[in-house]
Amino acid sequence: MNAVIRTENLVKRFGHVTALDHLNLEVAQGETHGFLGPNGAGKSTAIRVLLGMLRAGAGRAELFGADPWKDAAELHRRLAYVPGDVALWPGLSGGETIDLLGRLRGGIDKGKRDELLERFDLDPRKKGRSYSKGNRQKVALVAAFAADVDLLMLDEPTSGLDPLMGAVFNECVKEAAAAGRTVLLSSHIMSEVEALCDRVSIIRKGVIVETGTLAEMRHFSRSRLRATLKNPVRGLSDNEGVHDLKVDGFDVECSVDTDALDDVLAQLAVAGVATLTCEPPSLEEIFLRFYGDELAASGVANGEENGS
Amino acid sequence: MTTAAAELANGLGTLAGTGKLLRFQARRTRVYLLGWFAGLVGGTWMIAAAFPGLYPTAEDRAQYATTVNSPAMRSMTGPTEYIESYADSTAAMVAHNMILWTGALTAVMFILLITRLTRADEETSRLEVIRSQPVGRRSDLAAALLLATITALVLGVLLALTVAGVQGADFGSALLYGLAHSAIGIVFAGIAAVAAQLGGYGSSANGLAFAMLGFAALMSGLGSAQENAAIWLSPVGWAQETFVFTAEQRWWPLAVSAVAAALLIWLAFALVTHRDFGQGMTPARVGRATAPSGLRGVGSLTFRLTRGLMWAAVITMLLLGAAYGSIVGSADEMLESLSEQQRQVLDQGGGSIEQNFAATITAIDGLFAALFGLLVVGRARKEETGGRGELLAGSPVARSGWPGSYLPAALTVATVAVVVGGVFLASTGMSSTGDSAIFGELLGGSLVHLPAVWTLTAFAFAAYAWLPRAGWVRWVAWVYAFVVAYYGSLLEMPSWLRALSPFDHISRYPAEEVEWLPIGVLVLVAAAFAALGYAGARRRDLHFS
Repeated sequence: MNAVIRTENLVKRFGHVTALDHLNLEVAQGETHGFLGPNGAGKSTAIRVLLGMLRAGAGRAELFGADPWKDAAELHRRLAYVPGDVALWPGLSGGETIDLLGRLRGGIDKGKRDELLERFDLDPRKKGRSYSKGNRQKVALVAAFAADVDLLMLDEPTSGLDPLMGAVFNECVKEAAAAGRTVLLSSHIMSEVEALCDRVSIIRKGVIVETGTLAEMRHFSRSRLRATLKNPVRGLSDNEGVHDLKVDGFDVECSVDTDALDDVLAQLAVAGVATLTCEPPSLEEIFLRFYGDELAASGVANGEENGS
Repeated sequence: MTTAAAELANGLGTLAGTGKLLRFQARRTRVYLLGWFAGLVGGTWMIAAAFPGLYPTAEDRAQYATTVNSPAMRSMTGPTEYIESYADSTAAMVAHNMILWTGALTAVMFILLITRLTRADEETSRLEVIRSQPVGRRSDLAAALLLATITALVLGVLLALTVAGVQGADFGSALLYGLAHSAIGIVFAGIAAVAAQLGGYGSSANGLAFAMLGFAALMSGLGSAQENAAIWLSPVGWAQETFVFTAEQRWWPLAVSAVAAALLIWLAFALVTHRDFGQGMTPARVGRATAPSGLRGVGSLTFRLTRGLMWAAVITMLLLGAAYGSIVGSADEMLESLSEQQRQVLDQGGGSIEQNFAATITAIDGLFAALFGLLVVGRARKEETGGRGELLAGSPVARSGWPGSYLPAALTVATVAVVVGGVFLASTGMSSTGDSAIFGELLGGSLVHLPAVWTLTAFAFAAYAWLPRAGWVRWVAWVYAFVVAYYGSLLEMPSWLRALSPFDHISRYPAEEVEWLPIGVLVLVAAAFAALGYAGARRRDLHFS
């Protein structure tokens, strides 16, 4: 019952395009949740429904247990939002924009604001029209992190930031999580999600195709195994859990289902192991597994092989 | 080696690649240029064709000349030399009534053209791509000015062909008429080119150039009204000083334009290498580090974002009110000179001619005031399509606050516009007639139109709330109200068709007594549209791009 965000069979259509097709998303309180998917998968649409900007076509969406469409203004007191593409008022300076957004929420902690400006290395006196994309995003990020809220909704917040600012951003998210805030982080930067998120949902064509902790997801994926053996091994190709097997003399390389690791290691031990490396799948590999057919359609041979 | 690189080697230096850029920019702006050609040439053609019908004989024109020869009327047309030739030449009459306005529009065309090809392109970094090619530092400015010059000459020839058939014009004088417009265009292209080097942004460059145009229009009006040398401070005035189609026609004022244009272009080229790419000579102003205490909520933000429109409304209505007010006194004489058709526009009821005239101009004032209400509503849509509203929609703000705050903002701007227009109409009207009773009549006549202005504005908001993509709906409503007010009786429109316009229900005060019932009903209709608008704003999806 302590889900901060919950959608049940959420559907949103724009004309003939189905942007969300029975989406089930759940984010628990205090969790940093990664929302993964390529452009056009429906991430922003889902977030905008949750913010009450778009009305759900069918199904349910809940924010703090309430209806985000009906109680939008009230619910927004408890959250801060950073859009994927931040547009600022050309005549307002960054500082004015940050203060205004803070005052709409009932006031802004001046110390926090100045500290964040310092950390993000942002000049608050520049007018909105003269900021670069990255700096526009920083304005929205400073306003969001300075707000005293329970939930942060961040839609691809680092797409215009340089790596240094990306690191500052990661720190800020970790601090927010440590303070007990719930974070929904939509992204397609895997390293960011891997570093920050407790749980991850992967969205594809408006449906959540996978959700869980990184460990759980790895469990359902294949590890990459490389070994140099002392004697030739037999019977590996018969094992159903072994894929992409390459044997070159005593060198063995393959992908192994997590459930089959026991058997494979036993088989290798029989042959005698000289060196052994076994890598869990990266988030990128897990992600690409769900998009293998799209990659194939656009001419990339195999999602899993390209992932490593 | 590419041609441009060869030109660089051949010493063309900072102008290398100008030819290529010229072709590229001509291609990019062809739709813009064709649109302006069509508007200016088409407008000139329509008006030039209408004049012979309105004033067919020399006597008609001579009679009209006597009423137009007042300082107020001259400030809105041109020097008195033209008026003396009215009887002999319809073309002189056309030129007298046209040059100030088509000249000002030509200036707008060339200011926007130059800014768009120089500073605006720098801001969008389109020009960065071009500058990285083997082209010289000054080539983009050179190409823009070359394109402007060619365009101005083409426009001049087209205008010459348009007026060549008017009675009193021969080929040479028609060419002078056209080239006078070319001269205005080239001079303002030069002004815009200098402003583009000075301004901190494209928008401030535009602002500088438009301020110069405002000064030019003011000096032309002042010089014509008082028959003094102030007109020579105005590039538009130089065109008027040709006295084209009159007995005193002369070509040499065009030389003044040519010298001024040459100086301006030289200055722009001198300045362009003294500033950094993307920066003006004057540094971009930095804003405040913190928000002023007044910027507290969505309402104050909306007010601040529409402040510019509020000023535009105040200045426009002030000038419009003052202009109409100054001719109320000559209404009687003027009406005698009007054709039967024109008289029909004004004469829509009882009362004296002056009172009828007052009722009509207060209605026109009201329509112009409503225009600003509609523009403010349009801003709400721009906040949505520009994506800026997304930050507000994600904040604890109800839909009635955003985008809802644009309705009170629009009503405020429209109301201020009506009041300012009414006050200036009444005070200048009082001084032009010397009749103090007319102050109350003109102010009252303006204020009774408020409910109609509110209705149009609230309708525009409801249309925005329910049909956000169909921005034309609110303009159709305005144009319809304008047609009914102006031509309703002339076109003999059935009364139920006229009744669709809110302005049709306002009594023609001071020509008639004020009827309060329709005014009360209109207030209710406006309130109903407002409620409908808020319901729509709560109901629909917000789309940010």
